[in-house]
Amino acid sequence: MKKISSIFFNAWILFSGLLALLSASFIFIYILKNGFKAMTWEFILSNPAGIPLGSEGGILPAIIGSLLLMLISCVFASILAISTAVYIVFYCKSKRMESLAHVVIQCMAGVPSIILGLFGYTFMVANLKMGRSLISAGLTLGIMIFPFIQVRVEKTFREFSSSMLLSSYALGTTKLYTLLRLVLPQSIRDIVSAVTLAGGFAMGAAAPIILTGAVIFAPIPKSLSSPVMALPFHLYILTGEGISIEKSYGTALVLILLLFIINLVSISLTFWRKEATK
Amino acid sequence: MNVLQLKSFYAYYGEKKIINDMDMKIEKNKITAIIGPSGCGKSTFLLSLNRMLEESGGRAAGNILFNGKDIYSMPKEEIRKRIGIVFQKPAPFPFSIYKNLTYAPVYYGIRDKSRLREIAIDKLKISGLYDEVKDELGMSALKLSGGQQQRLCIARALTVEPEVLLLDEPCSALDVKNTANIEKMLRNLAGDYTIVIVTHNLYQAKRISDYTAFMLDGELIEYDETARMFSSPQNRRTREYIEGIYG
Ligand SMILES: Nc1ncnc2c1ncn2[C@@H]1O[C@H](COP(=O)(O)OP(=O)(O)OP(=O)(O)O)[C@@H](O)[C@H]1O
Ligand SMILES: [Mg+2]
Repeated sequence: MKKISSIFFNAWILFSGLLALLSASFIFIYILKNGFKAMTWEFILSNPAGIPLGSEGGILPAIIGSLLLMLISCVFASILAISTAVYIVFYCKSKRMESLAHVVIQCMAGVPSIILGLFGYTFMVANLKMGRSLISAGLTLGIMIFPFIQVRVEKTFREFSSSMLLSSYALGTTKLYTLLRLVLPQSIRDIVSAVTLAGGFAMGAAAPIILTGAVIFAPIPKSLSSPVMALPFHLYILTGEGISIEKSYGTALVLILLLFIINLVSISLTFWRKEATK
Repeated sequence: MNVLQLKSFYAYYGEKKIINDMDMKIEKNKITAIIGPSGCGKSTFLLSLNRMLEESGGRAAGNILFNGKDIYSMPKEEIRKRIGIVFQKPAPFPFSIYKNLTYAPVYYGIRDKSRLREIAIDKLKISGLYDEVKDELGMSALKLSGGQQQRLCIARALTVEPEVLLLDEPCSALDVKNTANIEKMLRNLAGDYTIVIVTHNLYQAKRISDYTAFMLDGELIEYDETARMFSSPQNRRTREYIEGIYG
């Protein structure tokens, strides 16, 4: 009886693993196959052209735009998320304050991204007069990924060995020194990987930027207040307006490859750190 | 002369009273041993002396005077710099051996490379670890054996030049030879440092300490010169404890 159930269990694990692997590779191969034709240097390195716009030419401004959006949202969100986690784990003395912070963060995580876009539009674009711009869209994306990063960073801090913390305090060092010299260097790998994952998530999101800064066509942004093109929005326009199916697949492929590269960089970065601290 | 003096001191974890109305004076530049059965509050007592108790979730009431000044009216960082502690479970930082030893000196503003190196080597020699690791100062401290980690933690505590050193069962992970080395080291340090050591090993208390305190259920039962304490304990419970282990 025991044996049968364990066979069943193993088969089930194998099946789920294969299913996940297969569906992921299916999506990737499907997009690779359909987008491959569109992938030329010209596509990657030139502006969109043709009538309607996008039916010819390339997607360079969208690639740059997406990278900039990711950068801005990651910087903004990680500063906020790390500070919040540091406060909650190391400085907050009151249990009630802590649970309040957790409730707020959970609520933020639950807000649909289009609503965040609406918030960004009314608050930043209209009220703060920041216009539909790189910065409005970047900050809106930052708000979206903030809970994602915060939860992971807080978990990393919580798992930090308390006897090491105590040893550091016992040498008379302050919390700040302990944080900067002991906790952060030890947690940086986890933080970097959380931020990169979140960055990929931000890069792929269309809903928050539709209202706050993404446009059908703009040159590479010159300043934070310029409107911006972004890959997911471009993809949405190309497909939604029926402009060019081939170019949509090309755009999708570029987006996926970028995410792939970002994750690869993150993994090798963290791997390198692991080697260095040995 | 006393460095430390407790006046009707209490320690709590939550509502639970761990140390009950303790009065005690600790002599300067002597070795004081704390003995007593497991769970009687010896570690809690040590943690109280340099205000580490509050970091582990405990609470103190009453007074502890350090050179006549109440430690709870002084900055806790200053207290901890001047009263160092080595915990029962060694916890080296996940850095190299060398960086473990420069962690605190760098905090106190020492930047000179050769000075840092000098401190590291000097403290390793004192704790008897130098010969074993002299070629591998760059190795991760986590790769050391338990006893080596314990001695590294002693060396690390010495890098801030404390006036008082609190040791919580420093020899529990050591073999006979290393125990003897540590005991020799403590005897050497005793001229310049005040040492308070918690130990389960009564022979050790007898060998190295000048004074011995016997604790039971959070209370100080008997406190006397070591020789007198072991030859003619005044309290019945002290006698029973000592004889129980000896006899
Ligand atoms: N962090 C803590 N939180 C709550 N209770 C604690 C904590 N640390 C210790 N205690 C309790 O305090 C009492 C005394 O513990 P303490 O560690 O001081 O004993 P000890 O004499 O050092 O014992 P041992 O010889 O086994 O190390 C124990 O009953 C223990 O359960
Ligand atoms: Mg103990």
